[in-house]
Amino acid sequence: MRFAGIAGRVAVVTGAAGVIGRAVVCKFLAEGAAVAAVDLDDAALQRLAETLPHPQLKRYPADLTHEAQVAEVADRVVEDWGRVDFLANLAGGIPGQPWMERGFEPFEAVDLARWRFVLDANLTTTFLCCRAFVPVMKRQRFGRIVNFSSIAARQGSVRVGAHYAAAKGGILGLTKTLALELAPYGITVNALAPGFIPHGEVRGEAEALVRRIPLGRPGTPEEVAAAVLLLCSEAGSYITGATLDVNGGLYIAP
Amino acid sequence: MKGKVAVLTGAAKSGSIGFAAAVRLAQEGACVVVADLYEAGFGTLRSAVEAFGVPCVCVRADVSHLREVEAVAEVVAQRFGRADILVNAAGGSWAIGPEDLEDGPPSAFMGVLSCPVETWRRILGVNLDGTFFACRTFAPWMIRQGWGRIVNFASVAGRAGTRPTETFSSGPYAVAKAGVIGLTKQLALELAPYGVTVNAIAPGLVASWRGRRALQELSESQRAEMEARIPLRRLGTPEEMAELVTALCSEELGYLTGVVVDANGGIYRA
Repeated sequence: MRFAGIAGRVAVVTGAAGVIGRAVVCKFLAEGAAVAAVDLDDAALQRLAETLPHPQLKRYPADLTHEAQVAEVADRVVEDWGRVDFLANLAGGIPGQPWMERGFEPFEAVDLARWRFVLDANLTTTFLCCRAFVPVMKRQRFGRIVNFSSIAARQGSVRVGAHYAAAKGGILGLTKTLALELAPYGITVNALAPGFIPHGEVRGEAEALVRRIPLGRPGTPEEVAAAVLLLCSEAGSYITGATLDVNGGLYIAP
Repeated sequence: MKGKVAVLTGAAKSGSIGFAAAVRLAQEGACVVVADLYEAGFGTLRSAVEAFGVPCVCVRADVSHLREVEAVAEVVAQRFGRADILVNAAGGSWAIGPEDLEDGPPSAFMGVLSCPVETWRRILGVNLDGTFFACRTFAPWMIRQGWGRIVNFASVAGRAGTRPTETFSSGPYAVAKAGVIGLTKQLALELAPYGVTVNAIAPGLVASWRGRRALQELSESQRAEMEARIPLRRLGTPEEMAELVTALCSEELGYLTGVVVDANGGIYRA
């Protein structure tokens, strides 16, 4: 289906060079939005732009844990496109290898530096991006913010570690509060909580996890992207402060 | 969605969420079957749906009776031989039975302690039994087909209960909608292995015909007060809900199941 209300608008996607980020960028472009692709990894952003040549796609390399860099991106995006309608905050994850290779980080192995690093990468980047883009959305009296949480925040996790689950849980509180503050300006703020969306081949421990997913398969980046579009489109225009679980039934939320 | 068969309950009244959903699904190319008690609306619905070049079959049915739902299935079997999408929109806490279809809202709040047992049965019958009966009837078809989408209508009342100051909802309604949420989650787990997703939408206040009718009973200041309590400062629209129904029925959102989508303008943040 076509998602109504996307075409002709401007989307900012952070973490755009990642696997899910790329799918979100593709989906926005396919539905006729212009996309400001933001990522820490400029080389990966360049590959994205090369493999996805599109006049409506521009890249903005930045370290979103630095307030000044976030502010600069916001200024440039507004300068380049004149407005910002959608903000999809995907930047984050667990820096380092994906858990399938890295292995579990038990709570006692997480020192303060590691804790701060993961909270910064996920929660602080989301906070800073909201801070930077909310003023323009307020002026427009229109905006759609989609923050990426995780199934780890919904049910806890013995795979990803307490730091990541805490950061993604923090995003839920941030989302609900921002939803209340910004609703009077026509801005909706929602969270997405994806389940298991593998970036590569599924093997080892992950195979057992897939067997526990009621739909019997992992999710795809495209399915997560579709959920982002739902929340930005007219299908989502009365949804705010909500958390949308995209997990194939793996966790049935209360 | 082209060529898929969508069965909707409670979609015959113009201005209802179900009506808007039937029209929106037709726009995507789905064939539409509507089961409703409100026969007076069949003509208007049929022309709105057929305008998109798809067939529209309307069947009079009280969904709170299993045999009437099964009779709808017989019509669908003969006409289309399949059912891909089921939208359970029949419900409400008033104007839902054969005897009160044209009535307005009750004048006083009805709680679980004050409602007549007959009213309890009626409200639970249409909202919860009706959803259960339609799922029971059409889910086996979806299992056979290896694909299906079920969208049930819950309510913010089913999420959080309804306060005795909210005269247009009711206690039994809140209980019934909580039941719909439980049914949605359970069915999602039972049907997932067959590629059938089951989700619920929990709307807040919607400017449907029923919502607008309820607002008429309020003074201007009461109405302003009500809207001010909604973070987005407005009621939802049937069209927004229809857009959401259609998205949940799409191929692309096939990884969502067992989910309650709160579409309430921020009034309740689950």
